[in-house]
Parts: sequence; C-alpha cells; structure tokens
Amino acid sequence: MADVHIPYPYDGPPELEATIEGALRQVVDPEIALTIVDVGLVYGVRVVERDVQVRMTMTSAACPVTDVILADVQAELDAVLPPDHSIQVELVWDPPWTTDRMSPRAKQFMGW
Amino acid sequence: MRTPARHGPAASTIAWRAASLLVVATLLISAIVGGLLRAGVATPVPSASAWPAQAVLAHAFLMMSAFMGTVIGVERAVAVKHRAAFIGPMLSALAGLAMLGAQPALAAWLAVAAALGFVIVNLVVVKRQPAAHTALLLVGALALLVANLLLALGSAAASVIPGWFSFLVLTIAAERLEMTRLMRRRRGAASALYICLAALLLGAAAFALSPAMGALVFGVALLGLAIWLMVFDIARRTIAASGLSRYMAACLLLGYAWLAIAGAAWMATGLGLPLRDVALHALGLGFIFSMMLGHAPVILPALARIKVEFGVHFYLPLAVLHLSLALRLFAAPFLPAALRLGALGNALAIALFAMTMVGAALTWRARHTNPA
Repeated sequence: MADVHIPYPYDGPPELEATIEGALRQVVDPEIALTIVDVGLVYGVRVVERDVQVRMTMTSAACPVTDVILADVQAELDAVLPPDHSIQVELVWDPPWTTDRMSPRAKQFMGW
Repeated sequence: MRTPARHGPAASTIAWRAASLLVVATLLISAIVGGLLRAGVATPVPSASAWPAQAVLAHAFLMMSAFMGTVIGVERAVAVKHRAAFIGPMLSALAGLAMLGAQPALAAWLAVAAALGFVIVNLVVVKRQPAAHTALLLVGALALLVANLLLALGSAAASVIPGWFSFLVLTIAAERLEMTRLMRRRRGAASALYICLAALLLGAAAFALSPAMGALVFGVALLGLAIWLMVFDIARRTIAASGLSRYMAACLLLGYAWLAIAGAAWMATGLGLPLRDVALHALGLGFIFSMMLGHAPVILPALARIKVEFGVHFYLPLAVLHLSLALRLFAAPFLPAALRLGALGNALAIALFAMTMVGAALTWRARHTNPA
C-alpha cells in the first residue's frame, strides 16, 4: 500500500476504508472518463460512530450534473455499507479544486 | 435504520416535469417542422392553424432562443439550485409558444425578459465561482440578451442570428474550457481562445453595419475556435476511453470538424458566395446539435431525473445526423433534391435520437429496478 497514491484523507475504522474507496471509485464522470477519486473530487471521508461523511467538490459551479453525481455517490455507498450506517455527502467549494488533486493515473490519461 | 438514498418525487413534481417536457418537445418539433418546410419537404401540417407558417417564419428563433434558450436555462437553473432560476426558462418557453401563436412582439419581449433572468442566474454562478469559464457563460448570456433585444426592437432575424449563435457557441466554448483544466496548461491557450471569442462577438456586432464584413469576421472566429478545440480539448484523450465517454468524444470531434466547415462557409458568404445553408446548418446541426447528442445522455438524468443505459446503438442517430448533413450541405449545389433529402435525414436523426433516449431510459429502469 505504501507506494499507492493516497487519494483523500480517511478517518474511520480501517475495515471500512477499502469498501468506501471501492464504492467511490464506481462513480465516473463520463465526460472525462475518470472516476471522482482519480479526478480528486473527494476531499475526505470520516466515519463517526455509524455515520459516513463524505466531503467532495466539483470542478464547475455551473455543472448541472452535480446532483446526479452526489446521488450516485450516495447510491454506491448505500450498496456496500452495512445497513445500520447512515451516509452524508457534503458538497463544498472551499478549497477550490485544482489539478494538483488529480491522481497519477488521471494525469497520465490526460496527457500530462 | 438508514433513510432511502432517494425519495420518489411528489405527483405534482412529476406533472410539472411532464408538462415542461411537453412544451420543450413542442418547441423543438415546431422548429424542426419549420425547417423542413423551409427546405421544401412536404410535411403534413394542419392548414387551418397559424403555427406552421409561424414555425417557418421563426425557425431560427424557435430553435435557438426558445428551444435551446429554455433547455440551457433549465440546465443552469438546476446547477444553481434556486427556484427563481427557473423563471428565465419558463419565460423563454412561453416566448416560443407566443411566437407559434402568431404574437411575435409579445414573444420577442418575453424572450428579452427570459434572457434577463438568464443573465442574473449566470451572475450568481460567477459570484459562486469566479473563473474564466463562468465568466464566458455570462458573456454568452449577454449575447442572448442583446440578440433578443434587437429582435424586440425590430431588427430582421438575419442580423439577430449571429447573436443567437454567439450565445450557443460561447456556452459550449465555456464548458469545453472548463474541461481543459484537466489537461496541462499550454502557454497562450486561454488567450488564443479569448481572441477567437472576441472576434466572434465583433463579427456578430458588425452584422448591423455590414453583413459581409460581419460574416467574414464571424467565419474567421469560428474557424479559429474549431482549430482551438481540435488542439486543446480533452475529446482527443477521451476518444481513447470506452462506452459513453468515447461516444461523447465522437460527438465532440465530429462537431469540431463541422465547426471548421461552418467557419469557412461563413467567410465564403461574406465574400458573396451562396453558401448560407452551409454556414447556418454546419454550425447549428453539425456543431451545436452534435454537442447536444453527446451531452443529452448525461444532462437528461440531471434535468429530468431520468437515467439512461448507454449502448452502441447511440451511434445510429449520430451517424444519420452527420451523413444526412453531409448530403444536404455538399450535394445540394449539384443535386437540388439533396437539400430536401438531407433535411429530412436531419429531422429523422433527431427523432431517432429521441427514441434512443426513451429506449435507453426504459432499459436502465428494467436493469435497475430492484424487486426487493
């Protein structure tokens, strides 16, 4: 795991970390053919008790697909988390997204 | 324990969405019928009603200001998530209906009010995210406002059309610019884009003084933009992906080729060559509709809360659109029937696309309906 790019800070029980990341990696922005994790839209995940909190952003405030992506995140997490866990997906604009957040895979795909 | 991820919408919301969809479809179908009649295609229309004649007269207004103005207005309203943001698209849809009801003055002023609402929504977007692409979206909205205002003040549609096109082209350019943020910044890329777009607006404005000069500058700007998009857009990357992403990239790249042809044709009309149909429809159908075909599968879920299942058959309407457009624009000078046949093919492509979307929505439902 040491050499793998850490996509976002995770604060919660270790046994859920891979499950949550796997679910988030299911959400793809078809316009750019990359997952929200690779683009770096996920700012952080916290699991407090049985409450899963995802903080994420979008690259554009004019994007009408925002709600669809947030609902997809919710649905993907819903499908893999134990039923007694609640899910909160929070959209934030601060700090603004930059290309520094892109994963090496995403940068390679975009020709960096 | 957990509340469901999504609640079903209320019956009133569903009725509202259905009514909106019906009005938008009416505007699009009327605009298409107007286009077909213009191209000389015998189209069955009610003879006692005023709307076929209005659909012919106001084809450009219906397509760009009413139909696309409404769809893009809803798109932006959904993004800002404020009820009042929907006033603009409601007014632009009403403007379209008023035009079909043979009330051109009322229609034009409703369109002005709609564009004003759209400008305000875009100001909200800029305030929320001050960035180059949101600023360009605002400039596009202002182009729509100016064009609609010119129409309301009595300008001929021919001198307003470049303004409507500027609104659409700026909107698309802004969204593409936003996507290029994912690529490494190339020195001068943004400036080159701004020069093209400034020339576009300059050309559109020059139509009022000299249509020939206006068309020439407008054409150069479109050609420049086409080259910019071919060089800097992510579509050249995403075409290597698969599924929906690759389909979207194909729509974009085909659109850029037509944009270049449109640029050359606008320049040619400025020089006096009879290529007006190429200028208008390489841009309107080849570029703008191709963008719509590419983006509808992702925008539709956002606007109408309907998900679609992608399949290779999505390429069929796209192929019909581009082949029929090639027939229409390249063969018409030698074969007069090509215009009619091509225009019919264009309409068929849009109808096929609508059916593809309905089918894809039903497929998605069938695949994702959980019996438990």
